[in-house]
Amino acid sequence: MKAALEPIVGRYVSFDIAGRRCRVYFEEAGEGIPLVCLHTAGADGRQYRHMMCDPEITSRYRVIALDLPWHGKSYPPEGWQDEEYRLSTDLYVETVMAFCHALALDRPALIGCSIGGRIVLQLAHLHSRNFRALIGVEAADHQAPWYDTSWLHRGDVHGGEVCAALVSGLVAPQSPAVHRHETLWQYMQGGPGVFRGDLHFYRVDSDLRGRLDGIRTDLCPLYLLTGEYDFSCTPEDTLRTAASIPGAQVTIMRELGHFPMSENPEQFRGYLLPVLDAIARQ
Amino acid sequence: MHTQAMPARDAGGAQLAQRFRDSALSFSRPRQVDMDLLVRFGVHPILVRIRDGRVTAAEGPAAPLPSCDVAMQASEAAWSRFWQAVPDAGWHDIFALAKRGELRIEGNLQPLMAHLQFVKDLVASPREVQA
Repeated sequence: MKAALEPIVGRYVSFDIAGRRCRVYFEEAGEGIPLVCLHTAGADGRQYRHMMCDPEITSRYRVIALDLPWHGKSYPPEGWQDEEYRLSTDLYVETVMAFCHALALDRPALIGCSIGGRIVLQLAHLHSRNFRALIGVEAADHQAPWYDTSWLHRGDVHGGEVCAALVSGLVAPQSPAVHRHETLWQYMQGGPGVFRGDLHFYRVDSDLRGRLDGIRTDLCPLYLLTGEYDFSCTPEDTLRTAASIPGAQVTIMRELGHFPMSENPEQFRGYLLPVLDAIARQ
Repeated sequence: MHTQAMPARDAGGAQLAQRFRDSALSFSRPRQVDMDLLVRFGVHPILVRIRDGRVTAAEGPAAPLPSCDVAMQASEAAWSRFWQAVPDAGWHDIFALAKRGELRIEGNLQPLMAHLQFVKDLVASPREVQA
């Protein structure tokens, strides 16, 4: 063996979500506090590969990045061919809780980006006792739409290409080209209609404005990190959200866009490590 | 290349249109793109003819009411900020501009969406080079 192996290990686990058996792929690296990672809409767990290869993180955290059903190497559940994929708030929450239960994770920390950031807010609202800490990246209770999602799944437009081209503007201009294009490649690889199905949750079924009362950040700290170049979930969206949650700790990140852990891992870790330090000290 | 030396800020619409024209004429990508794209810099339009992935013409329209597939319009200030080497947040993408009301996109959006990255790269092609 001449080339160095990365520490990332991939496994499959099967469990029920909303009464349907799902075979879910996940990757992990490190030991210590479980840190569950939720990818953005239309992408997969590869977005967290840099965190899984960062000894400053993996020396203290068991970093676990799953591919949601329909994404990456997780197949859709049986019978998918006869339905339209539509993620909902309830299905998303159940998926996350079922995954944590299947792996017998004891009060893990959790980080989610974009739709993963939105569901972090709902998890904080409903299940804060089940988590050690929650990190919402590009997270807000609501954000204004900026295009018609019907373009994402049509016969006369290549779905992968239009998904990637649309989100390309959400990557900060300072992000290294290699990471920018790797991030976009994931969007080009998504299944037909999956990005749009994720955005059903984002656009239609998860307006959390005025519905986040009672979040106990004293029991489960909530950190919100948003990139200044994200015009989808804007810094203003996150700041407004944070203002409605007593104890939420918010940081606006310079020179980052909508995919911090994937588009510019070096820049992101400067913001993430202090959060992980604080969680480890709890 | 003189288009890169031209300062982005305080450029007039005619200058910006010329700068875009100079840049567009050398733009091509290996894909099957055929469309007529009208880009307005304030009141100064450039009609870009794209055939087989290559810009074959980029000129001010010869007559009023030029026909096109897709049209984009923004102010001189918006294009200047968009073309900065490192644009400010919110001024770095055509949809960021559109969301803040600084850019209008009109026409048949199918060819635009079918070749979105091509068009994005084309309209960003005059962007200053980072030092």
